[in-house]
Amino acid sequence: MIIHSADRRSFLKAAGVCLALPTLESARQAARADRPEASPRRMVCVGNEFGMHPGNFWPKQTGSDYELTPLLEPLAPHKNNFTLFSHLDHGLKGGHFAIHGFLTGVKAAEARGLPGGGMSVDQRAAEFVGSRTRFPSLTIGSEYGLHGGCQMSWTRTGTRVPPIPGPRELFRQLFVEDSAAGKKQAEERIHLQASILDAVLGDANSLKRTLSRNDAQKLDEYFSSVRDVETKLTLDQQWLRIPKPKAPIDEPTNKGLTLDLPALYELIALALQTDSTRVATLEIAEGFVSSALGIKQGYHGLSHHGKVKESIELLVQIERYQVEQFAGFLDRLRSIREPNSDGTLLDSTMVLFGSGMGDANSHTNNDLPIILAGGGFRHGEHKEYPKASNRRVPLCNLFVSMLQRFGVETDQFSQGTTTLTGLELV
Amino acid sequence: MALSSKRIPAFVFAVLLLAWPAERPLAAADAAPSFETVVRPFLNKYCVGCHGQKHQKGDRRFDRLTGEIVDDNSLVDLQDILDQLNLSEMPPEEATQPTDAERRVVIQRLTTTIQDYHKTREASHQAAVLRRLNSREYRNTVRDLLHLNMTMFDPAATFPRDQTTEHLDTIGDTLVTSGALLQQYLNVAEEVVQKAVFPLEKPDVQKWTFRDGFRQQPEIDQVHRTFNGFRHMTLYDVVGADKPEGAYGPIHAFADGVPHDGYYEIKLKAEALNRRHDYPIEFLGTDPDEPFRLGIVAGNKDAGTLHLTQPVEPLLAEVELADEQKWYTVRVWLDAGFTPRFTFRNGLMDVRSLWGKLAKEYGDRFPKRKTKGIVDNRINGITHGNLPQIRIHEIEIEGPFYDEWPTAGQRSIFGDDFEELARADTLSKAQWRDRLTEFASAAYRRPVSTEEVDRVWKIVESRRDTGRSPLSAFCDGLTAILCSPAFLYLESADQKEGLSSHGLASRLSYFLWSSMPDQELRELAARGELRQSKVLAAQVDRMLNDDRADAFIEGFLDSWLTLRDLGATPPDRNAFRSFYHYDLDSAMRQETRLFVRELIQQNLSIDNFLDSDFTFLNKRLAEHYGIVSSSTGNEFQKVLLTDRRRGGLLGQASILTVTANGIDTSPVVRGVWLLENILGTPPSPPPPDVEPIDPDVRGATTIRDQLEKHRRIASCNDCHRKIDPPGFALENFDPIGGWRTSYGRGKPIDSSGQLSTGQEFKDVADFKLLLLARKDQFARALTTKLLAYSSGRHVGLSDRPHVDEIINNLNQQRSGFRDLIKLVVTSDPFLSP
Repeated sequence: MIIHSADRRSFLKAAGVCLALPTLESARQAARADRPEASPRRMVCVGNEFGMHPGNFWPKQTGSDYELTPLLEPLAPHKNNFTLFSHLDHGLKGGHFAIHGFLTGVKAAEARGLPGGGMSVDQRAAEFVGSRTRFPSLTIGSEYGLHGGCQMSWTRTGTRVPPIPGPRELFRQLFVEDSAAGKKQAEERIHLQASILDAVLGDANSLKRTLSRNDAQKLDEYFSSVRDVETKLTLDQQWLRIPKPKAPIDEPTNKGLTLDLPALYELIALALQTDSTRVATLEIAEGFVSSALGIKQGYHGLSHHGKVKESIELLVQIERYQVEQFAGFLDRLRSIREPNSDGTLLDSTMVLFGSGMGDANSHTNNDLPIILAGGGFRHGEHKEYPKASNRRVPLCNLFVSMLQRFGVETDQFSQGTTTLTGLELV
Repeated sequence: MALSSKRIPAFVFAVLLLAWPAERPLAAADAAPSFETVVRPFLNKYCVGCHGQKHQKGDRRFDRLTGEIVDDNSLVDLQDILDQLNLSEMPPEEATQPTDAERRVVIQRLTTTIQDYHKTREASHQAAVLRRLNSREYRNTVRDLLHLNMTMFDPAATFPRDQTTEHLDTIGDTLVTSGALLQQYLNVAEEVVQKAVFPLEKPDVQKWTFRDGFRQQPEIDQVHRTFNGFRHMTLYDVVGADKPEGAYGPIHAFADGVPHDGYYEIKLKAEALNRRHDYPIEFLGTDPDEPFRLGIVAGNKDAGTLHLTQPVEPLLAEVELADEQKWYTVRVWLDAGFTPRFTFRNGLMDVRSLWGKLAKEYGDRFPKRKTKGIVDNRINGITHGNLPQIRIHEIEIEGPFYDEWPTAGQRSIFGDDFEELARADTLSKAQWRDRLTEFASAAYRRPVSTEEVDRVWKIVESRRDTGRSPLSAFCDGLTAILCSPAFLYLESADQKEGLSSHGLASRLSYFLWSSMPDQELRELAARGELRQSKVLAAQVDRMLNDDRADAFIEGFLDSWLTLRDLGATPPDRNAFRSFYHYDLDSAMRQETRLFVRELIQQNLSIDNFLDSDFTFLNKRLAEHYGIVSSSTGNEFQKVLLTDRRRGGLLGQASILTVTANGIDTSPVVRGVWLLENILGTPPSPPPPDVEPIDPDVRGATTIRDQLEKHRRIASCNDCHRKIDPPGFALENFDPIGGWRTSYGRGKPIDSSGQLSTGQEFKDVADFKLLLLARKDQFARALTTKLLAYSSGRHVGLSDRPHVDEIINNLNQQRSGFRDLIKLVVTSDPFLSP
């Protein structure tokens, strides 16, 4: 445990920039934030609550000559830009209660005590980026949903990253500069909060002396939280001085998640293009309503289709809309040149699309629908992995591949212990 | 096959092992027949066949037991065997059964062995894990510390959602602190302090009058423009409508809301039109015999559209309207920026689709229009439909008013110094420091040390040095106090001193109020009297009689019965319209809360949870149950139940809804819920390779048939013979707790079943009798949850003797719920670290 001293803090206040702090690796990176790197890697993860109807999603054939199914048709122009993986999952059970493990590989309740603390793959990538971008990551979409909704982004401490709710809020974060007075106020708040952290650290240290070993360990969470906030305050201070990019579009209004999907995808593309962030996560849950698509029955009700043909047809309509929007996003990424390289933004951005739900009708979390597009991988196939229970490949192996591609030096992530066999780089 | 014990958290074992490194394993007591003479032969004869070398069903193996408790695994095994024998759950009914005499002697031997083992262990429970306030405790504590009105202010709204363990939101181990949360604490503390301190000067009373220009929402405005020129506001839908039209009447000219937090007097001239209409009652679903109820809810234009549902929209007031135009006056609290919106509590449902239905079924009442589209139908419906509606003709808003000035919050922070501060804008250093010390002591729920005050004082001084006003610097000090671990974490046991009196006062008040201790508890703690059993019991009585105990009822029910999740799977709108039209969601919550409050108030037996001859219903919930009730409007009445289907928790719609998914019911889900929460014996999770049940509602099979097939697989049957039957007993209740006798499509419901003990029941009433026969098991489950909820830690095997002692004492009394709470509070695990 590092004992914080007041002197160190006053230095922060005096110097403004915080190069000397031992724990602020990312702050150091922030100092170079205005100098773009040659070829940054980016990651976008998209997930929904109820998965994709298996019968209309999975192609019968594997390899590169597979026939596109109704739910994959919208992706036809991108067939060589994505890979479809079957029989990958986390081995979780729990229906709606397990989908929040989509990007973590574990259920939140079971995440404590694990080395990664149940962190999600996007947040692992965000940690790696640290302060090199204004936003280490942007989690966007539904705060809630059925049994909590998607809940895809989780930090190292096992807390969920609350999503930015709509295009308007996202736009403001990305492009709207605070007023000079607002910035001054923000700077003053940073100073105040920094000095408060000093005082409460003193309290925490004196409290710690009275505690049993168990309790003292618990209090370590508080200490590490203080360090996290210190880091964040330093970065906030940095970014206050660097202007936000000019907005290339007008501020959008919020129309509900269903109709907002195009605007959200556009803003994510802009966020990547302007290097405001390199990691974005989109959660499609509460607010995504079938009524906005002119369908009377509820989305959740339809996902319990009970094999009734009419219900399945409507369900597929809803899901197909989601795939169409996703395909539009890939179009957009492909239309943007990656600066300092020959490729497009799609080449540098790995885009994961899927769900923690395998089959909504039976509430199962196996055989998750998983698509990976872009990112410089060799695509164009439907890759089938072993179905037999004793030979299954963890989905987290794919996450290890993605993290390595992102630049993270690791051969482990959650249940993943190696990269995914068969997935090659271009 | 045993149920419960493998669920004990691993860390419990770890702690126990640490605590007893040198202890010699305890041999069975000398008296009474030994393990070898009675237990071993019994195990060999009846148990080892399934739980031995060859098979280890349910992961249990008994052939190597020696009768000595050498580690926690052997304790778990022996306790398990004992519990199963006590319940006659094992051996399974199809196996050879021991005689009662055989059973009895083994039960005696094992009971003694386990009791002796526990006796040797002084510190039989672990040190409580340090725990922070959860979101609702934070909210309540801020409310009580600063005397803030929280009707529409939720400082914890932006906190990451608290994680739970077994649905409990008070377990220290699970309540993590993160950078994201601490950042929120910092931001929110500043906001809270500003709200409590400012303005120093009492704001002037203002008055706003609105007589016309009542636009509401685009969909209906075009009709209202020509029909009434916006001269009045018209409310049609209830707030639960899917795509509401006229559900929220906003005053757009007052969209920015009130300028200051405070009470405002709202006067309005309203009338109730067409209460008695000439449509069939079920066509519109409003009650012609009931006065219309006008509700005022808060709205905030920054939170979303004012004519639609918003995340924060508390009901501020409700008025029963006479039919004719009349003036009404209500006094409501509004935070700055909030505006009142008007709603129709018992209005129409989904008028958007009603317009079309009117045209279709009562076309002859309306003039012919060009199209059959919604626009023309709506014009007809509004202008010629003579539908039930509330009209508001004039609105006056006046305020802010205050019960006292300075506010209670200002008085609590500044005391007698307030007047001087308001006059001079500053105080002397000594005064500032005294005020800071007092506030810290209140916030930390104990006396504070000089060093603690010094640390905060340093901030105040440095803020002044950088040019802040004395008051602003002082406020920064208050903000710091609200971010200190001494405020955010409940006082934990000092490793030398144990739990202090102040720590005990906090534990008690967070148990029963989910908030900080009040003055009386603080004084008792300061005098060192709180620990006396008599004093504790008297305090429990006082606290339970206080309104703040509602926080216990809500918090504990959410944790114990998972009522927190009620509404997380919204029922299907088409199948369950009444749920939305009549706000059954709130009504069912209220039923269970009132029921539990009655058990506490009257100290009624906890058996009432299992079966009871009364409940609390409002009119619509009574209708939902098919019970005749004399209650009118939204008022809840105690109702005596004449048939046995509804009594107890298992007949309450809240429970039946939260255990369904809003679409259909599953005996498995309800069965597991019951085993977990009512009987305290959660089943093991399903084995890895099991084929899930894929619901197929096309024809041939019912869920019962499918489960029957499932149970034919031996490995499934081990658990499902326990899980499914309780679920079957509840199959007569639909996904929102309505009574049904068929699944539709001509398939009748069979709610009979057979428990794993072989006892049979023919329906839910019958099933409840079997539950009552297990009331000790229920009492143990309930007590365990109460202990965990109140002490903020897992309750493990080593607590078992204390739990059993509580239940013994309870059985000697009248098994009252209030008695049980007192027994928990005076028990060792609650009073110790």
